[in-house]
Amino acid sequence: MPEYENPEVPEGINVSEEHPLKEFILLACGIGAAVAVVLFALTLLAQNAAKAIPFEMEKKLAANAIFSADTENLKSSEFEKYLSTLANKLAKQQGLPEGMTITLHYSNQNIVNAFATLGGHIFVYRGLIDKLPHENALAMVIAHEIAHIRHRDPIIAMGRGATMMLILALFTGGDSAVAQQFLGQIGLVTALNFNREQELAADVVALETLQAYYGHVNGAEVLFEVLGEEEGEVPLAFLSTHPMTQSRIDHVISFRDEHDGRGELTPLPEYQ
Amino acid sequence: MYDILIFLTLMALGFFFGRRAEKKHFKSIRRREAKYRQILAFSERLPPPNTRPVESQLVSGNVVISVDYFKQIVAGLKTLVGGRLTSYESLLERARREAILRMKEQAAAAGAETIFNVKLETASITKGNGQQVGCVEVFAYGTAIIPIA
Repeated sequence: MPEYENPEVPEGINVSEEHPLKEFILLACGIGAAVAVVLFALTLLAQNAAKAIPFEMEKKLAANAIFSADTENLKSSEFEKYLSTLANKLAKQQGLPEGMTITLHYSNQNIVNAFATLGGHIFVYRGLIDKLPHENALAMVIAHEIAHIRHRDPIIAMGRGATMMLILALFTGGDSAVAQQFLGQIGLVTALNFNREQELAADVVALETLQAYYGHVNGAEVLFEVLGEEEGEVPLAFLSTHPMTQSRIDHVISFRDEHDGRGELTPLPEYQ
Repeated sequence: MYDILIFLTLMALGFFFGRRAEKKHFKSIRRREAKYRQILAFSERLPPPNTRPVESQLVSGNVVISVDYFKQIVAGLKTLVGGRLTSYESLLERARREAILRMKEQAAAAGAETIFNVKLETASITKGNGQQVGCVEVFAYGTAIIPIA
């Protein structure tokens, strides 16, 4: 059939001239920025709303959900009474609002950690106390955790986390796994950044509490030295939950110099 | 932190190998299309009525091409805002042209000069499974007309 021929196919009808990386970067930046703005606005809203939740309700929440995990390791001893007394004295110094109570739990586990959670519960592990040389460093831990509770940080974190998960689920619709993964990364970094601000605020209050209680903040920096050794340095401050150890130590030292805060260190009592 | 590293590694792998494979594939497609240009393909169901007596034979070509991770991420982001999914367009073009080429190769081996009633079918192999990197199948088939010597 000589009257027919197959024409040469013109190239580039379906192949875009644009470099694929350029498209990706534009998309990633645009969508990333949009998600960040929405997340930021809504989590800000959620945080402020979370603060309005009465402490009584937070206590009930904690009683239902969180506070049941660690009871078997709790010790009822002289040492626990000593810890509770210390916590109560420090709480009094901080002037907690009406109805806000602190419950301190001592756990006889070899974990170098202490944390505050919903309902005014503070957990301190023996592993951390073992590494602290004097009461002043221990008081810094407890005052720091009390400050978190005073600032309502646990419930704020919960409100923020719930909002973030909800928004990400909305955005990704559940079936686009890849987009979900990508957006998840943004959410993670934002959440960590927020926590750092709360940590810094709690540090400031804790130092003020120690200054009022002991008349000086000597020995407070030991806590961060211990934590720093335990974790090893985190490579990027932006990605770590707790602010860089060195900057926290520097903050303690500058506070001490401002307030002329040198004084006698108080020893820890005997415990097991 | 490790999630981000894994994600970036997969992206880089997808980008470099996917791009390299695509370039190579297009080059091979262009070369072979020139080679089989004398075999004419028509969507017309029957040959013209004045055709001399011929033999006919079913010829087909089939190809499956996988999406790379980079393309999938770009397309995934694009679905949030809408528009041309350029990363998938070139993928499907490759699959279509490759399937037709394989059909023509079969026709050439059978000694045919024309193929009538050419049709294309396409299927997504990983349909509905969001966790997997998707692949697409294109199937081309037609009736090869072989002149009797």
